[in-house]
Amino acid sequence: MNKLFPTQEIGSLSKPAWRVKGCRGLSLTKREIKEALEWGRKLGIENLDKLAKLLSEKDSIHKRQVVLEWSARYAIKLLEFAGLDIVFDGEQWRSEMYEHVARSVRGFSFLGMVKSFDFRYYNKAVCVGKPRHVQDIYLEEFLFTRKNTDKIVKIPFTGPYTLACWTFNEYYEREQAKKTGNLKQRKLEAKQAFLLDLVKNVVRPEIRKLIDAGARWIQIDEPAATTFQSDEEMTLFVDSFNETVKGFNSIFSLHNCYSNYKILAKYAGKLRNCNQLALEFANRDDGQIGRRERSGYCDLQLFEKYGFRGNYGVGVIDVHTDLVESPKLVRERILYAAKMVGDPSRIYVSTDCGLRTKTWKTSYEKLRNMVLGAEMARRRVSM
Amino acid sequence: MIGCYATGIFPRPEELIKTTQRYVREKIEAAKLEEAFERATAEIVDAQVHAGFAYVSDGMMKWQDLLRPFTENLEGVRSGGLTRWFSNNTFYRKPVIIGELRRTKCVTEKITLAQLLPKNLPWKAILPAPYTLAQLSENLYYKDKSELLFSYAKMLREEIRDLARLGFKYFQLSDPALVCRLDNQPITADEMNLIAEALKVVVKGISAKTCLQTFHGDFSQIMPAALDFPVNHLGVDLYETKFDAVKEYSFTKGVALGLVDARSSLIESSKELVNIAKRVFEFTCASGKDECFICPNCDLEYVPWKRAKKKMAVLRRVAERLREDLRE
Repeated sequence: MNKLFPTQEIGSLSKPAWRVKGCRGLSLTKREIKEALEWGRKLGIENLDKLAKLLSEKDSIHKRQVVLEWSARYAIKLLEFAGLDIVFDGEQWRSEMYEHVARSVRGFSFLGMVKSFDFRYYNKAVCVGKPRHVQDIYLEEFLFTRKNTDKIVKIPFTGPYTLACWTFNEYYEREQAKKTGNLKQRKLEAKQAFLLDLVKNVVRPEIRKLIDAGARWIQIDEPAATTFQSDEEMTLFVDSFNETVKGFNSIFSLHNCYSNYKILAKYAGKLRNCNQLALEFANRDDGQIGRRERSGYCDLQLFEKYGFRGNYGVGVIDVHTDLVESPKLVRERILYAAKMVGDPSRIYVSTDCGLRTKTWKTSYEKLRNMVLGAEMARRRVSM
Repeated sequence: MIGCYATGIFPRPEELIKTTQRYVREKIEAAKLEEAFERATAEIVDAQVHAGFAYVSDGMMKWQDLLRPFTENLEGVRSGGLTRWFSNNTFYRKPVIIGELRRTKCVTEKITLAQLLPKNLPWKAILPAPYTLAQLSENLYYKDKSELLFSYAKMLREEIRDLARLGFKYFQLSDPALVCRLDNQPITADEMNLIAEALKVVVKGISAKTCLQTFHGDFSQIMPAALDFPVNHLGVDLYETKFDAVKEYSFTKGVALGLVDARSSLIESSKELVNIAKRVFEFTCASGKDECFICPNCDLEYVPWKRAKKKMAVLRRVAERLREDLRE
């Protein structure tokens, strides 16, 4: 991009009540409909009378689909309205980054809830047969987004390594048990076989479809990248990324957050065709203005040291606090990151991760200040 | 003697999961949640009895993570950010040490449902080992990690004493940090000595049985020094351990063999596990004097409860078959 410090979001926005209830076939309260219309007016969305009518209608398959489209349209507008250069639809079409994919893949079935932390759980799938791509995962969502914006579109795409880490691997462990009695080796080899098939049979076919339909930028989301930190596991992760993107004519980036960057950095130089690493840093920074050192951002130097030469999507907005960062703080974080990397043209400005746990009001305010802060940083560099 | 037992937090049964979610959404009162905890605990205790466990725990339904009772109830500790629990998609609250550690009450008593444990079987309690507590804490107070390690060791000794008074006969100290190295750096001999000293502090004057349970990492890296730890049993995660590197040592302690994979939903073949156990027994428990336990490699909470029950049945079958084959 010619513009310095382009701004982007990572993926998810929260789903408004009218989207959640509308897609579940539940009726909405007057207040929820009013709120939908108020946001619509604020974002300059046209034909709101149609939405008002739709939201009052009885449940139907048609209604559920159109509600989804409306909320995607809203999310795109919100990102545009905040002034972002690169957008998507806030992942409004997806139930959640893992479940959305797991439901689409043949060979997966859901086993039940397991704990994530405290009273939070996730529905964990099990691979019981060779995974196969039998239906589109992101294609429709991409086409809708493409039609509804003139901005650059970046598609968040749950990566194969994360899918493999978050899914029980019964099929391949059973297969592997026939071959080796070594329990440790068996698990690793079973994972390797699972990953290879996931990439070949599910991930690449979906990417092919997206690119054929005009996708130009796909962001591979791999929050699980550093879950296992051994050399064997990190190599599996790197190989799965390289195999995923191999030979495709598209921009690819990698998003990872809340992870061990000291480990990730060592392997980042081995990622091929990775145009951008989008990383979480704001969460690691104390948020004070006027800091000479920003320890959270220092890890950028490690990525440089280990030979990553692509761009960085630098997280300057903490998605786990309601506190809205000031443009001045954003500016400082951007300039510090640029100093660490030594080349401002390689810095993209980002949130740490998706904003799905924040209200639209907070998300909008955070994104708006991110855009203003990027503008201040641009002025500073060109002075 | 060959027995079986579990080694950590059990998965919450579906009904309890739903109840906790309703509680979070403020749809039910705390009393209803409490009742659900009791029902789940009773179910888990019953399942352990049914599986022929040698020691029975309360399933740790209320434990949000292994460190939480210490993070929330010790003076000098503040609850920090959510942090990944080793190589899992689960998270714990990091204990942040902001002052001198002080223990003014039994930190686990409130979340231990001892009243639901059977009267005719010995009880097992599971606590974090001092090293794992110290390694996973953010130390803003003590001058170094070893000071923190020994402070935790003292807290643990007091905790074990209180739990022993309640009736617990067996104490497992869970020590994943010992073998799952956060920085990929091997543990040093000096550190191993310090850990042994800290464990001495923990078990001093305690007559109950103790086990240092390692998991999520390779046990061979702490051999042979671990044989000198002042505990009765050592726990090994066989899904992470380089078998060949361990078998060159002859064990002088009892073992807890993590033979069932608590991080996989696949139900293991009992026949295969029996064969693996026999190979391990060639260099452990060879004298026949030491106790051996067949157990999951780590907390069963990584699989849904229905699957955990099937894995408990595997534990039972493997232990029975071993007892028969070895004519116990």
